[in-house]
Amino acid sequence: MLILIRNEVTKLLLKKKLILIIGLLIIFITLLSYGQQYTYEKNIDRFENFSGAGTYDWKSLATQRLNDLENRLDSPYIPDSGIASTEIEIRQLRYFIENDINPITPSAVKFSVDFVEQGISLLIPLIIVILAADLVSGEFSTGTIKVLLTRAVPRWKILLSKLIALILMTTLVVLIIGILSVLISYLFFRQWGFNEPVATGFSLIDGQLNADSVILVTRFQYSLLIYSLTWYVSIVIAAITLLISILVENTATAIGVLMAALIGGQFLQFFLSDWAIVKFFFVTNLDLTRYLTGSYQPIGGMSLNFSIITLGLWGLLSLMIGFMVFNRKDVLV
Amino acid sequence: MDTLVLNVSHISKSIKKKEIIKDISFQLRKGEVLGFLGPNGAGKSTTLRMLVGLSRPSAGTISICGHSIRDDYVKAMAHVGCIIEGPDLYDYMSGYKNLELLGSMSKHVTQAAIDQAVTLVGMENRIHDKVRIYSMGMKQRIGLAQALIHKPDLLILDEPTNGLDPQGIHEFREIVKSLAKDTGISVLISSHLISEVQLMCDRVCIINNGMIVQDGTVTDMLSTGEIVWVLNDPIKGQKILSENFNLASLLNEHNELIAAIDLKVLPQINATFITAGLELHTVYAKNKTLEDLFLSVTNQRTIQ
Repeated sequence: MLILIRNEVTKLLLKKKLILIIGLLIIFITLLSYGQQYTYEKNIDRFENFSGAGTYDWKSLATQRLNDLENRLDSPYIPDSGIASTEIEIRQLRYFIENDINPITPSAVKFSVDFVEQGISLLIPLIIVILAADLVSGEFSTGTIKVLLTRAVPRWKILLSKLIALILMTTLVVLIIGILSVLISYLFFRQWGFNEPVATGFSLIDGQLNADSVILVTRFQYSLLIYSLTWYVSIVIAAITLLISILVENTATAIGVLMAALIGGQFLQFFLSDWAIVKFFFVTNLDLTRYLTGSYQPIGGMSLNFSIITLGLWGLLSLMIGFMVFNRKDVLV
Repeated sequence: MDTLVLNVSHISKSIKKKEIIKDISFQLRKGEVLGFLGPNGAGKSTTLRMLVGLSRPSAGTISICGHSIRDDYVKAMAHVGCIIEGPDLYDYMSGYKNLELLGSMSKHVTQAAIDQAVTLVGMENRIHDKVRIYSMGMKQRIGLAQALIHKPDLLILDEPTNGLDPQGIHEFREIVKSLAKDTGISVLISSHLISEVQLMCDRVCIINNGMIVQDGTVTDMLSTGEIVWVLNDPIKGQKILSENFNLASLLNEHNELIAAIDLKVLPQINATFITAGLELHTVYAKNKTLEDLFLSVTNQRTIQ
């Protein structure tokens, strides 16, 4: 079995897909981080011109805000529900002032998190599709499926080895996205930002943003959380791609079907958000990271747990159907 | 029977309710080279695909070296090497890497076995080049090496010489022939090329419309039991045949005398001709060509 997995990984590596993916990522990340740096500098320029002051003194602004918040906390009229969130904001501001970091300065880790948050519903799934779409269909279109399936190895083992190789490569791709986005954006921002405090854990209760369970974590911990969710989404997409790759026997068609599903799914969510069944479609549930900001609910009744379970079911079902079809398929190429 | 390498019994196959293979049975013994001859669309490829597990028969059983391909797939397949419709290889790897990768999927395939297969097909010099830049003939050689690395007892070749030039066909044929002779491997070759089958095979199955219409040795199938005499006066010969031996005969376009006879009486007939004063130039047994036979059993043009 290990040999089979090694073979599949070799095939994936020799196809040079990974190099293509890394190339695409480098281009995207460089453009985006340059863009972000540019916008940031523009904003500061504009602020300085507008306020007439020679320099943009974020520190005094932040200190002023901190004092306001502290005064508010002392006031007897503050509602109980506001205390928690105010305290958190105070702690964030203190951190920035003590460490002499402008809160709106872009940092490498912040960029990296933003990048996957934006990419999780389309760009990253597409990258996984590029990686996985020809895993089975490619063997059909080149005819190599015939030399592969006429060995003394049962078919399910061959598919399992492909699946495991795919999971390994998907994990690698998610890691690469993380590493590249941090490294490249650091070149522009000169700021790692691993220890910046981030507030997370907001929840939506009866339509009200609830801050009771909010905790402060470092941005590094937060990025681990975001990347785990990204990894989970990627694995589910990989499983669905594998199924399509088995069903259609043609790589171009497989990529087409998946792109149509991904893009069409976004449309569906946009136009038919009142229709309850849309929330069970996998594309509608891809945006896991947005639940963490608390206020996100694309369609009524959806939550982080709901989306994780729905995606999991899609992944498992795809694998089950995939294995069944692959085991019984007549190879006629 | 322990020498039975392949036993195909009553297999049928329907694809989309169309019966493509109708109740085919045949056996293959150790060391035998069997040709599977039939026009395009006769069901050769479909049958071979079922033998190597790429497709499942709707009915019937197939066993290879005593292992049923359905119940004991892994054991059965360990005895088979095959090329199904052209050599399909990973073209982004070298030929050697292809063999290594495929070899690693069978038990006990050593480096030495791979090298041996490479030498056998004469690819030592180009084996580390990418398959993408190979010619068709080179790919076919690697295809054959791929089928041989795990030392199978049964070699299944589906249209192996498609796309090869005459030189390539000749070399391929020599390799397969010497393999069968030296290693005792059984070979099943499908082809629509009659000459190829005639030159390589001990036995032929002619298949048409998903049925086996003829199964026998090449020599048996081709003999007609007819004898041809070249005489200076064939009319007189004809008269002797009908009067002395009560045999019907006819003359062909070259004025040669032809009659279907029992070979035991041939010396007697020849002696009678000579005593009657006829000049006997040549006597030979008339053989059908495999082409005649093939056309006569498959004489229908529409694909059903």
